[in-house]
Amino acid sequence: MQLTIQEVEHIAELAKLDLSDEEKEQYREQLSSILAYAAMLQNVDTGDIPPTASVLPERSVLREDVVQEPLSPETVLQNAPHQKEQQFKVPIVMENGQ
Amino acid sequence: MTDYEVVIGLETHIQLNTKTKIFCACKADSWDDEPNTNICPVCTGLPGVLPVLNKAVVEKGVLLAKAMHSDIRMRSFFDRKNYFYPDLPKGYQISQYDLSLASGGYLDIPMPEGYTRRVSIHKLHMEEDAGKTKNAGNLRLIDFNRCGVPLVEMVTGPDLRSANEAAQYLIRLRQLLRWLGISEADMEKGHLRCDANVSIRPKGSDQLFTKTEIKNVNSIDNVKNAIEHEVERQIREVEAGNRVHAWTLDWDEEKNELRKMRSKETEADYRYFREPDLLPLDLTQAWLDEILADFPELPLERKSRFISEYKLPEYDADILTGERNLSDYFETAVQQYAGDPKKVSNYLMNDVLRMLNESGKTANQLKLTPAYLAEILKMVDAGQINTSTGKSLLEKVESSGRSPKSIVETEGLGLVSDDSAIRAVAEKIVAASPKEVETFRAGKETLIGWFTGQVMREMRGKADPKLATQILLELLKK
Repeated sequence: MQLTIQEVEHIAELAKLDLSDEEKEQYREQLSSILAYAAMLQNVDTGDIPPTASVLPERSVLREDVVQEPLSPETVLQNAPHQKEQQFKVPIVMENGQ
Repeated sequence: MTDYEVVIGLETHIQLNTKTKIFCACKADSWDDEPNTNICPVCTGLPGVLPVLNKAVVEKGVLLAKAMHSDIRMRSFFDRKNYFYPDLPKGYQISQYDLSLASGGYLDIPMPEGYTRRVSIHKLHMEEDAGKTKNAGNLRLIDFNRCGVPLVEMVTGPDLRSANEAAQYLIRLRQLLRWLGISEADMEKGHLRCDANVSIRPKGSDQLFTKTEIKNVNSIDNVKNAIEHEVERQIREVEAGNRVHAWTLDWDEEKNELRKMRSKETEADYRYFREPDLLPLDLTQAWLDEILADFPELPLERKSRFISEYKLPEYDADILTGERNLSDYFETAVQQYAGDPKKVSNYLMNDVLRMLNESGKTANQLKLTPAYLAEILKMVDAGQINTSTGKSLLEKVESSGRSPKSIVETEGLGLVSDDSAIRAVAEKIVAASPKEVETFRAGKETLIGWFTGQVMREMRGKADPKLATQILLELLKK
């Protein structure tokens, strides 16, 4: 299970990460070995087992539609490195200026 | 020149009108609120929190699925849709992918031209909304209030054949959402958002050609406008021998034009997988029965019933079923009145609708209740008041909240049906009009209208005109 450099670049693009050539090679190796490890699961025969999304007891947990007190804006923003007009301020990350 | 057929599919996002968000107890509607005031650790994706599904979201989703004739899944799943965007604090959106709340279904759209377009529903699922971002120079400001607001995404098949049909679909969908009471469906407020997939093909072809996607359109008129622009552009491209590219286009309302957006990320890039923080959603038959127990008669069914049961013209029936409160109002008034339903319709279409438009009220908020309207109609029928008094009573009842009868009594608006009072006036008129009496007796009997008019004028409109005519005829034919 060896990832190509193109695959690493694609994954980096999805996460909006700018990687140097050395980093691409480094992550290619690391991600490949993680994938190879996870790929061991493919050896288990699951032919008779229905797809399982959860191993918890089956019951729907639902909430009544009743409003509760939210956090204060001060609390919400207290760890934000940049803020303006009670909003988070972030750099532009998308290619079309969004 | 080739004849082209237009192929349109619509993706709509419907904001449900629950009190709280889909996975936390924050207030859902932040329209009038300051930024970042309705948020908590769950909707901002802080570490260590878990989403808990809002029961009301499921119930409203089920109502919509039922109205769309979709198959409701007794077990559905939530999935993570992964993408990186500053308004999405978790880095993924909780949505439903392959096994959503419902599958299939359709909505019938009656077109003003007389035909009906059946639009198939390809997808119907629940999901959470993202936050809002706003440009501020070369930075962006982020408000997370909208994070976690409940949405139903509904995607149609490529079944619409014109910008007009797309507009009618949205009009009927909006009507239905309000009718079911599951969304305010105000496009300007983003309760109903629409992206349009548009392509063209030579007439007669059943192939699907490359489509473009139009985003960010916030009114029905703009959807229509944007689609028309895009169809023209695609025809120009094809006629010039060029290809249509799978662009995403942004509608610029001010410039009235489409602009190209980022190249579309493919579906595989979203890396969907089952949401591990939520259990499968199991509907029980008992719960489903409970949700659907009060499922209302839908607008188009009610419209046909109004036509067959009350013999209303289609035009009246369409307007009276435009909104659920109004159609309930009409039906209650008809039952209370027990006379000709068309008369009730006339009062509603001419006067009550204007009253509603001017006041911004819905029919159930009027002080002029269906019972009072019926009372006015009955008084007109019985000759106790004349038609114009009846009309003026509508406003008087609405502004005072008093019953029509009591207003008629205290203001003396009732017609005089006292034989002797009318007879006295009639005798006076006959005595004062020898010339007209002579003409009448010489055979010009249509003059009776003039005599009645004189009596009515003398009594300031309060005489019962039928009785006046009868008395006059008696006097003149002596």
